[in-house]
Amino acid sequence: MAKKFKAIVKLQLPAGKANPAPPVGPALAGHGINIMAFCKDYNGRTQSMMGQVIPAEITVYTDGSYTFVLKSPPASELLKKAAGLDRGSAVPNREIVATITSDQLREIAEAKMKDLNAYDIEMAMRQIAGTARQMGIRIKD
Amino acid sequence: MVDDFDDIVRSPHWLEVSVSVDGELAEAVSELISRFAANGVVCEQGVEYDAAEEHAMPVGPVKVFGYIPVHDDLESLKQKLEEGYWYMGRIVELPPLQYRFIEDQDWMQMFKEHYHPIPVGERLLILPAWVKQEHQERIAVKIDPSMAFGTGTHPTTQLSMVMLERYVKPGMNVIDVGCGSGVLSITAVKLGAAHALAVDLDPASVTATRENGARNGVADQIEIGRGSVKEIRSNFFNHRKAPLVVANILTPILMRLFDDGMGELVTEDGMLVLSGILDTQRDQIVERAQQAGFRLVDETELTDWIALAFRHG
Repeated sequence: MAKKFKAIVKLQLPAGKANPAPPVGPALAGHGINIMAFCKDYNGRTQSMMGQVIPAEITVYTDGSYTFVLKSPPASELLKKAAGLDRGSAVPNREIVATITSDQLREIAEAKMKDLNAYDIEMAMRQIAGTARQMGIRIKD
Repeated sequence: MVDDFDDIVRSPHWLEVSVSVDGELAEAVSELISRFAANGVVCEQGVEYDAAEEHAMPVGPVKVFGYIPVHDDLESLKQKLEEGYWYMGRIVELPPLQYRFIEDQDWMQMFKEHYHPIPVGERLLILPAWVKQEHQERIAVKIDPSMAFGTGTHPTTQLSMVMLERYVKPGMNVIDVGCGSGVLSITAVKLGAAHALAVDLDPASVTATRENGARNGVADQIEIGRGSVKEIRSNFFNHRKAPLVVANILTPILMRLFDDGMGELVTEDGMLVLSGILDTQRDQIVERAQQAGFRLVDETELTDWIALAFRHG
């Protein structure tokens, strides 16, 4: 079937708990996507990962049809886990709330590698380090 | 069912927070907004088709959305969000956050407003499953637009249906390669075909075709299976050849299907209907079909898409 792309929509949702309330409803209704079908499908595929944030990347076509793939948890989630944090710093330019090692950074970069626009692991690590800096997490060499 | 979750935040009104940022900043901004928004956040980005790689490439800025339920603490939450965002903006310059109040709605019903009955060709009508048929004189093909392709709104589907209307003869067998929602197999049977073999590599399409076949009361006449040309030629299914073969896919895939022996599926003097072809790709397909022993007998167009009908031999 021929397809023309309209948008990529990435929903960062709690695994197994998608429902038509915001953000799913308003994000998908405007694209003419069958929300109930999406929620059933997402919850079915993420049931075993409850407790994590699992992004769904949806490719929307101009005729309202779509396909979606599940992605690895967001880098911010993995950074928080590595640093033992509930959330990032409220004042990331001033307050460093945690420190992780460059080995931990490499591990996260490796886990995220397939979802990043990075040519090699060094580039992926730089991208993750940028996210860490904006969350007030320092990287120790 | 999704309604079983009692820890999902519900609210009659919501404050939508959004901002467009460069791809690299989207992660950190999403993380910040997700601290205040209920049920998760959304990132939306434009997309272009990368012909060389044959997949979708995200392009342009990422728009991050979050929704905060409207309640007594809203102002203080908003202030905290603004503070966090201001500090983040001290590291990298960021555009201001946008706010908009929205009412809670029946989101599940909203998508239905996008779909209306579409008359196709002389005799056919694509009917969303929940709409009552008004054009009784037309043959209705009921489709519930869900996961798989072929909601009926796309020009290539409509072009394929026009060709089926012209070439399906009562009692004949039809093979539908890349069946998507099953719309073409259903159309063929409704036009009088005795039997359709519908195949697709995507398991979601197999399920959708089965459901749509039942919805249209033609399930008994459609054999559905996972596969493509190779599997059909390897006798995975009850039919290996048919006097009419239809494939509504993209040109690069149609070219590959010729290499796999798509032409062999068509009986001598039978028809091959191809759609999913941009007008600029016409000659490429015609040349390839001729090499495979077909001659062009008909073509039709809608916007910049064309469908071609070939006769074998």
